[in-house]
Amino acid sequence: MAFRNKFRMTEANERSDAAHGIEGVLLANRDRIIRFLTVRGAGDAAEDLFQDLWMRLTERHSGPVADPLSYVMRAANNLMLDRYRSVRQSQLRDKAWGEASAVQKPGAEAVLISREQLAMTERAIAATGDRPAYIFRRFRFDGVLQRDIAAEMGISISTVEADLRKVYAALAAVRRQFDAG
Amino acid sequence: MPADHVTASEAQAIDWIVRQRAPDFADWDGFADRLAEDPGHAEIYDALASLDLDLDALPPAAPSVSPANDRAENDRGMPRRWWLGGAVAAAIVGVVALPSLDLSDGRDVIQTAAGEHRTITLADGSRIEINGGSTLRLDKDRPRFARLESGEAMFHVVHRTDSPFVVETGGTQIIDLGTAFNVVRADNRTAVAVSEGVVLYSPDRSKLRLVAGQAIDARDGDTQPPRIRLVDTATVGGWRSGLLVYDGAALQTVADDLKRTAGISVQIDPSASRLSFRGTLVVDKASDRTVADLAALSGAKAERRGDGWVVSR
Repeated sequence: MAFRNKFRMTEANERSDAAHGIEGVLLANRDRIIRFLTVRGAGDAAEDLFQDLWMRLTERHSGPVADPLSYVMRAANNLMLDRYRSVRQSQLRDKAWGEASAVQKPGAEAVLISREQLAMTERAIAATGDRPAYIFRRFRFDGVLQRDIAAEMGISISTVEADLRKVYAALAAVRRQFDAG
Repeated sequence: MPADHVTASEAQAIDWIVRQRAPDFADWDGFADRLAEDPGHAEIYDALASLDLDLDALPPAAPSVSPANDRAENDRGMPRRWWLGGAVAAAIVGVVALPSLDLSDGRDVIQTAAGEHRTITLADGSRIEINGGSTLRLDKDRPRFARLESGEAMFHVVHRTDSPFVVETGGTQIIDLGTAFNVVRADNRTAVAVSEGVVLYSPDRSKLRLVAGQAIDARDGDTQPPRIRLVDTATVGGWRSGLLVYDGAALQTVADDLKRTAGISVQIDPSASRLSFRGTLVVDKASDRTVADLAALSGAKAERRGDGWVVSR
């Protein structure tokens, strides 16, 4: 509840601060971002991660951003995902699965699943059927929006959505299997 | 139920992952609100989003996501059933102590209701995961023996050279030579699929040695020994996860599996008895969706009848 009140307060500032660029957005929405990081899994480390986010965004930022708040929130989300992946990677390394990784790249770019798991994932996607697998590929790899895929294929958006869910459900099942194995 | 919890979290995570891929996604506060409801949500989301990221390593060309990579195993053209999945086991399977029924003759009988999954651990550390609608007998005097009267079970056997583990079903025996394997016994048929190690099927008659990645389907009274077919080891005993994958299975087989695995009753109308099914079924509480998918993908139609479903052409 306290969180809600806080971010309602900051919401009022959002528009005026957008003009000050990313720094301004980060400052004006500090509570909101920290709340996001906290529930996103950072817990007590949220304040520290806010600093990391600040460094990331102020170092890297180039050019204007259409919706700066969304941009910042997405960056915060990616920060948390990277963090999860680097923790996971060291766990996997400890388990000595490291050498089985499909592609070895440094840091957060590394692929965390083995070749075998990647192949299983691919099979699971294929097994959902030709249309879902195709739609998933257009969506996930070609970056085509759901409504555009629907238009392209002459089917409804809800069909596209259902197919995507189906593929992701298959991925979720495969993932559980990896965890269990 | 932990199983429901996991599934709901996953569904939610999937929803966010899909929505967030739109460049104009802006509902980050809404996302935070949902995450705040349960600390487990963030973890599931991370796990799935992370796997999603790893998919960047998939080969770029479209054909790779076609069933092409199954071809090597399918080229014999025989109908083949795929089980995908492994174990959500920890989530859906309740671990029970050995129930002591029928003690009079020194035997234990374990019966599961349709949709009920059980895991039992034997004294030697071997584990038996029992699917729904199954009857398994153990014998106190024979600790390395189990009899699958009917239904389906996955055996994870601790190997002992001096004392092989014997699974009896129908009129045959399956002898483990160090192993994990799945057995289905229904309608006078026995199916065995091996995911690890080696088993000896029917030591007194066909004497088939099955290694990991091999399976057989035998019918009672067959004069020929069953043919060995290849299976993906990862798919053996897939009933334990919520995902059933088939490649050209008879609808009746799928219906039997749904009954056992999830307690979903599906009656196959004679008009649809010749149809076959190829695809994936996500088995969960929403039997409507599972059955609708089954019907849609096999070119049939499904209708509710009583507690169950009727699938017809």
